[in-house]
Amino acid sequence: PSAPESLPENKNINKDGVLVDEFGLPQIPAT
Amino acid sequence: MAYWFHRNPFKATAPVSFKLYGVATSGDAGKICNELRISRARLLDLLTDVTCTVETMKNAAELYTSLLQGFISAQDEDTKENKLRYIQKFKWTDTLLGNEDRTQQDALFELVSMACNVALWYTKFASRLAGKEDISTDEAKEVHTCLKVAAGIFKSIKEEHASRLLETPGKGTDLDPRVLEAYTVQSQAEAQEVTIARAIDMKHSANIISSLAYETAGYYQKADKELSTLEPKYSTKWRNYLQLKNCFYMAYAYSFNGQNLLAADKCGEAIRSLQEAEKMHSQADALCSEYRHTKGPGNNVKPSEHIFFQKLGTNVKITLEKCQRENGFIYFHKVPPDPPVLELKANYGLVQPIDFELPAPHVLWTKKSYAAFDISLKPSAEGKDKEKDKKKEEDVKVKPMKEPDLQPQKDTGCSIS
Repeated sequence: PSAPESLPENKNINKDGVLVDEFGLPQIPAT
Repeated sequence: MAYWFHRNPFKATAPVSFKLYGVATSGDAGKICNELRISRARLLDLLTDVTCTVETMKNAAELYTSLLQGFISAQDEDTKENKLRYIQKFKWTDTLLGNEDRTQQDALFELVSMACNVALWYTKFASRLAGKEDISTDEAKEVHTCLKVAAGIFKSIKEEHASRLLETPGKGTDLDPRVLEAYTVQSQAEAQEVTIARAIDMKHSANIISSLAYETAGYYQKADKELSTLEPKYSTKWRNYLQLKNCFYMAYAYSFNGQNLLAADKCGEAIRSLQEAEKMHSQADALCSEYRHTKGPGNNVKPSEHIFFQKLGTNVKITLEKCQRENGFIYFHKVPPDPPVLELKANYGLVQPIDFELPAPHVLWTKKSYAAFDISLKPSAEGKDKEKDKKKEEDVKVKPMKEPDLQPQKDTGCSIS
């Protein structure tokens, strides 16, 4: 199959472009 | 982590038979009236059924609302109005005003009153689930979602529907914009409580937790302010709850801010921040006692003996002692007289209400079935029961709702013997 032309839409990214979980917290804890 | 939330009672209502004999001139129209009566009664039963799930509630609420929409949404192409909107009387009590009831001959009044009860159900369901001792991540997500759904319903009633009623909502009623705003903001704040607990469990940075706690405290303060101009007799207990949660989350904010400052080697400021956390926790403790001794809608529990309350107090004490020890050995900083200014803007975990949209009118509503309601004919009872039915409609009483979750929840607080 050919490679997709665009990135899949990820709804779990906040306005700063950080990956967040269902609670709106960063997926990777900062500590 | 187990949570504790204050809940006001459901709104009570008088039964509605939707017996529009004479007006409903076809079998289809009669069927709509029958379905309305059955789906309304079922929805009211589900509100106090402890076995009811979110899915069941959602479907039952959608069914009744979609049937009721045929009495509200514009069906006349020329006038863009609905001839049936003012044909039936509805009687409801309010969450803060005891057994006093209000009647409006307006289907929209029924729709917003029922929507308000459904939103209250979401908050009560969330409260029951959140009160469990060992709440799983999936359950925490469900609590979080339910509170966002409730916030969305309250917000939509306030911003889109209540203003379309013919009668201006009375002061302190559930359709008073101040009450609706308080319910909306409280639901958002409670959902953020779940997020704060999650952030602590996942060991997120003290800065994330502190800023979210600070915003949450602000939400509780905002909800309390909305209620400040209402009659104290009805609002004091609810306001006590909002005030104690405000102090409690300010204590959280100062506590985690203290940890943040210590990590930045600002030990003197960290001590002052933790001292402020201790002060806020004591204020919350006093408000817990006031809450417990205040009469009013809501349950009669001892929040200060709850594990969520005691745990914070212990953490503040331990962290403050640690800071004081380290300051005596390492830093030798002067402790400032004023607490640090919390200029924290939360970038993570802020809760937005889930948009609430009314369903389209039920499939039973067609041009033909709508036309089969003839409002030039007054609703009348059938045959010999005519007078009896008329009197019954007028005398119909509002029965209080028997609520399972108004009883104090199992207190998960541990005591040291």
